[in-house]
Amino acid sequence: MIGGGIAGVQAALDLANSGFLVHLVEGTTSIGGKMSQLDKTFPTNDCSACILSPKLVECGRHFNINLLTLSDLIALEGEPGRFKAVVRQRPRYIDPEKCIACGLCAEKCPKKVSNAFNEGIGERKAAYLSYPQAVPLKYALDPDHCIWINKPGRCGLCAKVCPAGAINFDDTAKEHVLEVGSVVLALGFSPYDPSSLDFTGYGRLPNVVTAMEFERLLSPSGPCMGHMERPSDGREPKRIAWLQCVGSRDINRVGHPYCSSICCMFALKQAVIAKEHAHGEFEPSIFYMDMRTHGKGFENYYNRAKDNGVHFHRARVHSVIPAADPGNLQLRYVDEQGQVNFGEFDMVVLSTGLQVGKQTLNMAAMLGLELDADNFIKTDSFNPVATSRPGIYVCGAASEPKDIPQSVMEASAAAAEAGRIMAPARWTETSKKVYPAEMNIHSQAPRIGVFVCHCGINISSVVDVEAVAAHAKNLDGVVFSQCNLFTCSQDTINQMVSIIKEQGLNRVVVASCSPRTHEPLFQETLRDAGLNKFLFEMANIRDQDSWVHQLEPEKATAKAKDLVAMAVARVRGEGALPYNTVPVTKSALVIGGGVSGMTAALSMAEQNYPVTLIEQSDLLGGNGRKVYRNWKGDKFLPFIDELTARVTTHPQISVKLNTEISDVTGSVGKFITTFSDGHSFEHGVAVMAVGGKAYQPEGQWQFLHGVNPNVQTLLELDQRFIDEDATLKSIKQAVFIHCVGSRIPERPYCSRVCCTHAIDSAVRLKELNPDMDVFMLYRDVRTYGQRERLYQEARAKGILFIRYDLEHLPQVSEKDGQLVIHVHDPIIDANVIIHPDMLVLATAVQPRQQTGVLSKFFKCAVDSQGFLLEAHMKLRPVDFATEGVFLAGLCHYPKPMEEAIAQAKAAAARASIILAYDAVPAESVTAVVTAAKCTGCGLCVAVCAYNAVSLNENGVSTVNTSMCKGCGACVAGCRSDAISLKNIGNEQIMAAVDAAFC
Amino acid sequence: MTEIDLLPLRAELKKQFQDKLPNARIDYCLTCGLCASGCAASGIEGMDPRKLIRYLVLGQDDLLRNTNWIYSCSICQRCEYACPMGINVGRFVYELKGMRPKEQRPVNLQRSCELQKDPGNSTGIPNEDFVWVVGDILEEIHENEPEWADMQAPMDKVGAQFYLNQNAKEPTVEPEEMAFIWKIFHAVGIDWTYSSKWWDGANYCLFSGDPEDWEYTVRKQAETVDALGCPTYINTE
Repeated sequence: MIGGGIAGVQAALDLANSGFLVHLVEGTTSIGGKMSQLDKTFPTNDCSACILSPKLVECGRHFNINLLTLSDLIALEGEPGRFKAVVRQRPRYIDPEKCIACGLCAEKCPKKVSNAFNEGIGERKAAYLSYPQAVPLKYALDPDHCIWINKPGRCGLCAKVCPAGAINFDDTAKEHVLEVGSVVLALGFSPYDPSSLDFTGYGRLPNVVTAMEFERLLSPSGPCMGHMERPSDGREPKRIAWLQCVGSRDINRVGHPYCSSICCMFALKQAVIAKEHAHGEFEPSIFYMDMRTHGKGFENYYNRAKDNGVHFHRARVHSVIPAADPGNLQLRYVDEQGQVNFGEFDMVVLSTGLQVGKQTLNMAAMLGLELDADNFIKTDSFNPVATSRPGIYVCGAASEPKDIPQSVMEASAAAAEAGRIMAPARWTETSKKVYPAEMNIHSQAPRIGVFVCHCGINISSVVDVEAVAAHAKNLDGVVFSQCNLFTCSQDTINQMVSIIKEQGLNRVVVASCSPRTHEPLFQETLRDAGLNKFLFEMANIRDQDSWVHQLEPEKATAKAKDLVAMAVARVRGEGALPYNTVPVTKSALVIGGGVSGMTAALSMAEQNYPVTLIEQSDLLGGNGRKVYRNWKGDKFLPFIDELTARVTTHPQISVKLNTEISDVTGSVGKFITTFSDGHSFEHGVAVMAVGGKAYQPEGQWQFLHGVNPNVQTLLELDQRFIDEDATLKSIKQAVFIHCVGSRIPERPYCSRVCCTHAIDSAVRLKELNPDMDVFMLYRDVRTYGQRERLYQEARAKGILFIRYDLEHLPQVSEKDGQLVIHVHDPIIDANVIIHPDMLVLATAVQPRQQTGVLSKFFKCAVDSQGFLLEAHMKLRPVDFATEGVFLAGLCHYPKPMEEAIAQAKAAAARASIILAYDAVPAESVTAVVTAAKCTGCGLCVAVCAYNAVSLNENGVSTVNTSMCKGCGACVAGCRSDAISLKNIGNEQIMAAVDAAFC
Repeated sequence: MTEIDLLPLRAELKKQFQDKLPNARIDYCLTCGLCASGCAASGIEGMDPRKLIRYLVLGQDDLLRNTNWIYSCSICQRCEYACPMGINVGRFVYELKGMRPKEQRPVNLQRSCELQKDPGNSTGIPNEDFVWVVGDILEEIHENEPEWADMQAPMDKVGAQFYLNQNAKEPTVEPEEMAFIWKIFHAVGIDWTYSSKWWDGANYCLFSGDPEDWEYTVRKQAETVDALGCPTYINTE
């Protein structure tokens, strides 16, 4: 694995967790990449470091990940399955085995260096740690700036103060020769440097910053500790302008014909978050060409930003010049109506785009990989993570600008591909983590330790954490309490293990963030310290306290004390629980026989797991069969026919057509699914790839569809392309209407694929008849990433784009069968009248109706639109909250085929993590029946959604522990108080309630 | 509101420009308006660079042939400099200017161009007057400002290191303005010269849009400098 950003980390974890040894090669001193530099992430506004950190820590502690920092791949020979990789590791000059991360070296180091992690804002020392949550949490000396390394004999202060004797000025580079089966590249991107765009003022005017620089200004670990300050005078900016497309969509000054895909959401997020940071009045303004919010949840985010006072200007600013007020900036812009406007701002943020880094180019040259026209690593439409060299895969922004969810999907997809090659070697190179024996605490009095987290400033800027820790110390059973800057950082985790041992703690409370993201990390820490992991509670004093009571710090502190007291009260009565497991049935069910379903099935079958693929229709191929080609010009049908043939002939895949699901029981490791034909099938995992459907135009979006024969949808036109309909050539004028049924109150999301699809269809018409007049009536053109090249090609061919908005919908009428379309051109304020021979509607992509029913069978969630809802939009894009069930394709959100294929492979990779094991952990918090109290009424049997409860031969309720999910429905249902949940009994609940009100 | 009936779409002027200028890229326009935001002439006569391109692609040729906005555009090319597609609006403005019949052009502009051809400067003063005014101003300075007593304003000095041209407006109406640059040159110790013919550095015929005319005047200036053998030409315009 080359590259330790989020994509590299995800792929490494997926591979390591499915039975392979991973060498993770990272060029800098620590993993985390660009995501570690972000403050918050869209669209969930999660704290970036908070959701990333558990993954980094897992990587750093993983038994089967060999983390090589300061390292570069310098040679690779061999073939898939047997490569020899040479990795050169540069000296760190601080021995990581000895470094205790106390920071004394950095404190005493006299040499100040520009802080690259903070994008050059502020300084760090030549002895440094790139950021507080860095993994590995080990300092390093910067050889370019360290005084001793450059002039031996001078300085050497760090060596004098280091209490661990870790400084080693004589450290040298090492070469590692690694035998590997596959190579995955996660090389990331390099932010565009706007210095050459003199008219932006960047580099000349201090208050003009790039998006990444602004991210550091917002971040709690940044140069101003998260207190938004502008560079020139440290004043808090009250008016900030974001200028979009700086370094993107520009073939004149920049030479990047592509769209960077993420900057619109990046700017929206920064505007929203900056508003939260600002004290009082704050006016964010975004200047843009097309607002591209094409991802899941993005359009809603955009709408919310509009409602919350973010100003949007469909305009571009030519020059940024100093205003009369020192430090302020004046912008002159012409709005869409042609009016000249002036605006004064305290700061300007340039929404700088993404480009390929120099290292990526060098790496591609060394490995002999083909690049595309924009210098990204070239991939295949139908195998989106494969490079031109067999056995080498790529994921993340190195192959095209893309956001984190897409990078994470590709990372898992790359893991699937690498896993396919290495499947025969699964578990042959790995070793197993052995935990110390667990201490028996049965007869011990509670000795509770409380750890209160600052979370940088996320908590401590509102809650008085020291007061909370002091309060905790006085609670019954608490023998230890302390505060930590970041409780989830590697050094604190290590420290926690020693504290548990030294203090003889037998229960632990962490007051920090959400157990949803961090409980597993802390529970593992308990196990490392020899404690049963269920002797643990979390108090969420961030999401449920500091974040929601920002304006009432005193009350927030009081609430934090209560939350901690409640957690302490609960943990006091808790006992050790067994680590239950469920044996894994090593086979998979894939629901849906479209391209996503077939890809997922094939990917798992190629790793030698038996798969049953069910399809409700009588044909495999799904929606893909209705589409002519993709934006790169690759036709779909030949690919789908080939894929279908591979699926139907694969010995490990059993295909069931005309089949639906009638019932599902069981859970991860062992599901039993009954089909409409009455047969049932036992499987360890399931992949939902149930597809989507096209919106049928109706109401104001009907535009005479179904009335006038010359009005059709994109898919109807595609059928004519597939059929090679010769009459298309004789069309003289064609009009396309975008966003038919998308981005409206009933369907407040962007269907992502239709701009590209419509424009490609228009280009196809121009190919058939270059003299045809083609008009595209659009709202925002969303040809994200390299699809922008297609948009440019379409314009170059003379296809004319006219923007409409919801207040001025195109008017479609007919006169004697001839279509007449009126549309308002906003640029010249004119009513344009077109008399086309054909009108094409780019209709929305919708979820299927059955999706909701199917989701209930597997206890998965759907969103408000009926799309399946993944476990986490950012970092778990193919998982469900329900374990053992995964998703891919249109049922998740509208997406082009290359993304559906990547997601399907990702789902296969995630499913393989379960299939790789003989048994998986099962719920430990299960229901227990007090037989003496049971009346045998059977209500518990009726309410259990998992079929885990039954009445035994004596008519007494019994719980099958392996099937129980600990949901508590039976506990609530029981009229005679005969059932309780381990560790969540009345006793604990009442203790917590008492603690809250005492 | 204007109505534009596209039956069919005829954009003759656009085609004409595209045929003449292979790199015209008119169709590439994103309508982002960055050109208009940077243009000093935006909003004048209801026009701006983006609208000009828009009218071109929508075939509003008559409107473009008649707009007087082209005389507010100085073809400074700020628009092209920052345009993400590198569209040179100034070049189309130049073409439009040239298409305008001479009698329909702004009178002063056209007259300046004619005068620049004959007698050779845009205000039409005789060359002898220019020579005399330069001498007169120099004499005045010598008399009134003793610190500049040995300053010269050379005329037709063969082999001078620098050739300096002159905006005709100054010798005609503000002659004392000329002396500032002489002083700079003198202080720096530069070996320079004026010429007594084709001394006007302006290029009015460029702004009236006539390639033959401005080529004629520029060529005359070039020949004059070449004849003097000055290696460096300083254009103050």
